[in-house]
Amino acid sequence: MSEETVIRVKDVWKIFGARARDAMRAVKDEGLGKPEVLERFGCVVGVQGASFEVPRGEIFCIMGLSGSGKSTLVRHVNRLIEPTAGTIEILGRDVSAISENELRRIRAQQIGMVFQHIALMPHRSVHDNVAYPLEIRKVSKSKRWAISDHALGLVDLTGYEDRLPTELSGGMQQRVGIARALASDPEILLMDEPFSALDPLIRLQLQDQFKSLVAQLKKTTLFITHDLDEAIRIGHRIAIMKDGVIVQIGTPEDIVMNPADDYVREFVQGISKLKLVKAHSIMEPLDSHKGSLDGAPRADEGADLDQLIDLSVDTDQPVVITEGGTDVGVVTKPRLLRGIQGGKDD
Amino acid sequence: MTDATDLKVTAASDIEVDREALDASIRKFTGPNGDYYVRALHKIHDVTGFVPRTFNIWAAVLGPIWAASRAIWGMFWAFLILEIIAWVQIGRGAWGNPGADMAERAARQQERAQELMQRANEATEQADIDGFTKLAENIQKAADSSFEKAEAAQAEALGIMLTGLVLLTVFKLIQGLYADQVYEKQYSRWRIDPEATESGRSTRNIVMGVVLTLLIGPLIVYKFTVNASLALLDAFPEQEVSAMIMGEGAGTIFSNLASWMEARIDAAAAAGGDVFDGIVAGVRGVLDALTLALNGSPWPVVMLVIVVTAWRVAGPRVAIFTSAALAYTALLGYWAVAMETVALVGAAVILCVVIGIPLGIWFGKSRRAYNMAEPVLDLMQTLPAFVYLIPIIAFFGTGNPPGILATIIFGMPPVIRLTALGMRGVPDSIKEAAVAFGASKWQLLKDVETPLALPSIMTGVNQTILMCLSMVVIISLIGGGGLGKEILEALQYAAKGPGLLGGFAILFLAMVMDRIVQGAFRREGRKD
Repeated sequence: MSEETVIRVKDVWKIFGARARDAMRAVKDEGLGKPEVLERFGCVVGVQGASFEVPRGEIFCIMGLSGSGKSTLVRHVNRLIEPTAGTIEILGRDVSAISENELRRIRAQQIGMVFQHIALMPHRSVHDNVAYPLEIRKVSKSKRWAISDHALGLVDLTGYEDRLPTELSGGMQQRVGIARALASDPEILLMDEPFSALDPLIRLQLQDQFKSLVAQLKKTTLFITHDLDEAIRIGHRIAIMKDGVIVQIGTPEDIVMNPADDYVREFVQGISKLKLVKAHSIMEPLDSHKGSLDGAPRADEGADLDQLIDLSVDTDQPVVITEGGTDVGVVTKPRLLRGIQGGKDD
Repeated sequence: MTDATDLKVTAASDIEVDREALDASIRKFTGPNGDYYVRALHKIHDVTGFVPRTFNIWAAVLGPIWAASRAIWGMFWAFLILEIIAWVQIGRGAWGNPGADMAERAARQQERAQELMQRANEATEQADIDGFTKLAENIQKAADSSFEKAEAAQAEALGIMLTGLVLLTVFKLIQGLYADQVYEKQYSRWRIDPEATESGRSTRNIVMGVVLTLLIGPLIVYKFTVNASLALLDAFPEQEVSAMIMGEGAGTIFSNLASWMEARIDAAAAAGGDVFDGIVAGVRGVLDALTLALNGSPWPVVMLVIVVTAWRVAGPRVAIFTSAALAYTALLGYWAVAMETVALVGAAVILCVVIGIPLGIWFGKSRRAYNMAEPVLDLMQTLPAFVYLIPIIAFFGTGNPPGILATIIFGMPPVIRLTALGMRGVPDSIKEAAVAFGASKWQLLKDVETPLALPSIMTGVNQTILMCLSMVVIISLIGGGGLGKEILEALQYAAKGPGLLGGFAILFLAMVMDRIVQGAFRREGRKD
């Protein structure tokens, strides 16, 4: 993963309402909260001082319940919504400073977006829907169709080019939506709850398909979801939003093992830790174990709980954790069981 | 959570009515005299049948004024009218003169008889004397009978008064019996919506009730019971008021206002002459082109094109019907006028669509523009055509182009409305998606909004076509030609045969146009 930052969001605020500017000033000067702003200015605070950076090729999930401001936040990246304060940079360029024409070019070329409500044009064939971003850029028809054939191939929809969207099932329609987002080979993908409206089985399939696709194509992705399971399955890192504030940013393991506050803890409670928690986050130092370690099973520090359980069922000894061939720590049975519970202290 | 022991299952029959809360609410609603109404409403609430068990003395005595004081305005008006009817009967019996008409007639006849007697006495010829005497006797007989009738009517006065008294008593009884029932309904409404339902007893309502009763009651009773009531009450004295405002001999308000408006319109027509001439020229251009195509081309070509279009667009059945309709017009000698009508309607529809769709798109996008235009659109559709025919003559003269303009006024609103409706119905999510992929405003309009609004726009166009057709006869009043003129002429001479034949020709044209256009929409719809 290269270290280049593709999306940089710095202290972005969004306040909706006629007196948003005044409200913003009052918030900055007096530190007003969300309810006070609503009462004094009649303005709704959508996003409060959000900051994050996404390096190239990362899938960055933004998780929050409805009304938490996650969809609002992601719409700042392609300036469907203008920020009240703060800056958004794409590949080092400040999007709020560029001209209308340049903005349209960036939207058509560098950012693909997938929507919760799919939003295909019902009067156009699958082909013409997928090729719409190219049509906007005035690419010739033969080229457009070739590219859309390729994009449809990526989502396994070859052979459906000439159907109308209404003839396809919900899952297939959303795959058309993904193909449309990929058609112009953009740098960035914005996924606004793309799988929320689908039934659970189709959702699982699409999540896996999407994850491997993005890994192959190395797209930098902002993925919005209200489902923590989905965020953990898909995201390299997760930001958790509540009432317009980003409460915590971290890897799935971070979030599950060290929730920043009660709000996040409550979310994390029901999540299965077996595949998520790695040995290094539950191991104890070598010297804390008094007994002999001869014949004890060994595992890499990247092994997850599932593997550790397999190793320790048949032995009374702890599992020795290695890093690059040297022993670095041990996982005793009590530690392992606590780890499964979710890192509760002894 | 309550403990399980706290929950008691009670049979519905054992549940006690909680009087206290209810009483407090009733007192709050009724305001003054709460105790009485608490008791009355309890009685009403406890009763299962519909026979009233309460009697409200005050409602009976005060009648409508009680209803007004409690803000039951429906009851106020109903019983104000009923009580006035009763009072009019009482008044007619008490001081009115039911036989007055008859007595007057008797007096006149008496006078005439005496006059004739006089002439008989003065006459010299025996034949004249006999004739006049005979006449005088006859009229004297009629006068006697009139006198009798007048007396009989006079004798009925007591009966009329009694009827009035009985009516009044019955109305009072009804009010007394049902007042609390009606008030209870008001109370139920108040419980649901305390903001919009008046409660209690307010001085304002009492004053309003008393003033209305005193104004309406005595005037009506006076007018109907006194024989020669004031002339002022019979008709609005607009002549006198005019004289008072404008000064003596300066004409009425109406004549002044009318001549002022006439001058304004003339001035506007003169000032904007070039503009209006330009508009007429433009409309004439469109009409001439269509007329040239329909009436200038050889008739077999036009017929063939219409039938083939019907067949391709709407199928063989419509094509057969179209051929029959065209044969009808041609055989009856209506071909040229029918094509003129088609050209008129066609020009109006083309202009409606060309102007209406852009306007509709604008109104669909701007809520404020739509709010401003809505009353104008309503006016265009509801104003009777005859009203705007007059200013159209003033500004545009007579003939076919002004006729088309009148047709446009009536025919354009549907296409504007339905285009705006269609534009507003385009889902925001699809518009957002197009913008997110870099669509400009123009591309959004061209690729997303217009195609998605198209079914609605097409419905609007179809309605516009039918509305334009319905104006064909009316515009012949200002010199429009075509089949409308045939019908107007037939109407002027009450020529039943020609009028009916021409009417059928218009009917067939309308059906052919409607079928072809609808067929086109169906074909459009099948593609989706």
